[in-house]
Amino acid sequence: MELFRNTRYDFLGMKWRFILPSLVLLVAGLISLAVKGGPRYSIDFKGGAVMDVEWKGAPPIARIRTAVSARLSGVSVVAAHDSAGSNEVLISVPAEGDLASLRQNLTQTLSSVSAGYSIRSFEAIGPEIGADLRKQALTATAGASTGMLLYLAWRFRLAYGVAAVVAMAHDAVITVGLLSLLNREISLTVVAALLTLIGYSMNDTIVVFDRIRENRQMVQSESLLETINRSINQTLSRTVLTSGLTLLSALSLLLFGGQVLRGFSLALTIGIVVGTYSSIFIASPILLTWENRLATGGTK
Amino acid sequence: MNRPLVRRTLFIVATLLASAAAIVRLPLRLGLDLRGGTSLILRVKTDSVSPLQQREVVEQTRRVLERRMNAYGLAEIPIQPYGSRGNELLVQLPGVNDSSRLRNLLQSRAVLEWYSVAGGPYATRTDAMEQHGGVLPYGSQLFGARPTADGKSEWYLVSGPPVIRGTDLRNARVAPGNTEGPITLFTLSQDAAARFERFTRANIDKLSAIVLDHEILSVPVIEDAIRDSGQIRGARNMQEAEDLALNLRSGALPAAIEVIQERTVEASLGADSIRDGIRAGAAGLAAVVAFMLFYYRAAGANATLALMLNGLLLIAALTCFDAVLTLPGIAGAVLTIGMAVDSNVLIFERIREEIRAGRSPAAALANGFSKAFATLVDTHVTTVVSCAFLFFFGTPAVKGFAATLVIGLVTNLFTSVFVSRVAFDWEFSRRKSPNLNIGLTKHADA
Repeated sequence: MELFRNTRYDFLGMKWRFILPSLVLLVAGLISLAVKGGPRYSIDFKGGAVMDVEWKGAPPIARIRTAVSARLSGVSVVAAHDSAGSNEVLISVPAEGDLASLRQNLTQTLSSVSAGYSIRSFEAIGPEIGADLRKQALTATAGASTGMLLYLAWRFRLAYGVAAVVAMAHDAVITVGLLSLLNREISLTVVAALLTLIGYSMNDTIVVFDRIRENRQMVQSESLLETINRSINQTLSRTVLTSGLTLLSALSLLLFGGQVLRGFSLALTIGIVVGTYSSIFIASPILLTWENRLATGGTK
Repeated sequence: MNRPLVRRTLFIVATLLASAAAIVRLPLRLGLDLRGGTSLILRVKTDSVSPLQQREVVEQTRRVLERRMNAYGLAEIPIQPYGSRGNELLVQLPGVNDSSRLRNLLQSRAVLEWYSVAGGPYATRTDAMEQHGGVLPYGSQLFGARPTADGKSEWYLVSGPPVIRGTDLRNARVAPGNTEGPITLFTLSQDAAARFERFTRANIDKLSAIVLDHEILSVPVIEDAIRDSGQIRGARNMQEAEDLALNLRSGALPAAIEVIQERTVEASLGADSIRDGIRAGAAGLAAVVAFMLFYYRAAGANATLALMLNGLLLIAALTCFDAVLTLPGIAGAVLTIGMAVDSNVLIFERIREEIRAGRSPAAALANGFSKAFATLVDTHVTTVVSCAFLFFFGTPAVKGFAATLVIGLVTNLFTSVFVSRVAFDWEFSRRKSPNLNIGLTKHADA
């Protein structure tokens, strides 16, 4: 079976059909971020406590909420799963006062509601640790981007590196924006997912760029536009297959990976979809524009 | 028979056997998020210490805490330095569900001092100050006793430097005591015993105060000269007395500490995570294998072989490096499936292109592998570069994820390029007129 055979699509000719929706997503995500005052950070990044409590029957969420709110401020009590039939409740408290007494405080309150519960997990994180992690996340992202930019600039040319990094940033921003639109939290594992999808997106772009470089060396009479189009077509079946198969792994994580990994898998699933088309419709047009500018500027 | 091919095959089989042996012999260590337990991050309050001394203070604290854990019966719990600030420590306690007692045990400084009492009791601190005209006599201090059940506290004025300190103690243990509650018995070092004897002989029938972490535990009357052993009352219950004895044995902390992060995962949630992770991995793997076999036919079997071997090597490598498998680590392993498939797809699509361009099967195979290899190196290096930056996170969970992914990338390069190629070569060597079934439509198949 062959999915694509000797295709000759004019990808660069129809770039706007993909760049426009991309821009729409980008703007929608940024507006959501602006309105909500930045991404919704989990307690990993802002400090606070989360307790995962399982009840013997259906949890009396409203009663738990009133009981806990009477003692602590800013409490949120929600069901731990989207699916019905789960008896788990997540109780989150912002970081205030003494972390050490929080657990005791919460368990006492819960016992006053009902005895039929067990604590599955408890996390309490001081605000300073959260601030540290935010810094580390930024360092890691900036470092990873610079590292890849340098590697590509060395292996290819600067324009290739810049185009790939811009496409990668595009994917990361869209994913963060979509998570904000969906009202999902950015936790430590979501950041790990972001860094992974940055790597994936990079992979996709590099496969296309590698082919462009190879084709440029072999056929020099062709214009860059034609070479890029030809290269994208040649790698098209690999791009679609790989993305499809990686998407399968990410989807199986999303469906079967359990509640703890949910945020991670969601970020990854979004990122793989966005990352696939960005290597074709974002990275390649940037490369073309940059190199053509250089050519008309007479520096080529 | 093709000599190099046999050598390569033997190499692969040897790797396979070594991996299998490693997996059977060495247990894979699970992280606390999978086996259940508590991890604490402690900060040593070193604000009053010069940056030069900070390291030493933190290291001393670490040792004292380790001694305390050992004394508590939790042997081999390493307490590791954590973070970049240099004053944070990470404690990982497997299988501990209620951490409150341990936390108190770790957090109390256990600075014990024995003073002679110069005045008191006073009802409040202000009361005590007024009695002395607002200025305390030179060298003396005011300490409050523990509040009683009705919330009242007594204050005492104590004089001079303490007669004995926690460091003078040679041993401490608990005795049941009488109706007043359990008592903690202690033995003094020789040097301190002489000092203590002089002090008690000179102060018979006078009050003395035992102060623990700036709070008066008890105010015993000195009844007789005491030489090298004494007792401390004032513990509310047996557990508290035991903890006090334990802390006195292990030594006082050179600085106060506070818990700045706690993560507790119950073992059953960890078991759920393992089950979910295995299910996700199996589902992903099954879907991918089914597709590869359908799309690439016979060649898909080679990819499947490479994929399975990759999984085996990954687990073996994790056990050999003594890595701790965490939940993010499982995610990393599942993602490795995606990466491994990408390499196979890249190579197979390249082979197909070569066949379409009219090359012979042998040439198509050789060209496909060599041309795809350059791309594979680039994609793998960039992913390793981005993973390397994940190590900037001090968090063990993220490090575990990155480590799994990097190991997976390396083993993948071996299986998808080397092992898969050897598998192809075997199929070729067995037929007189080689033919390559890589799922191309009939007329294009070579």
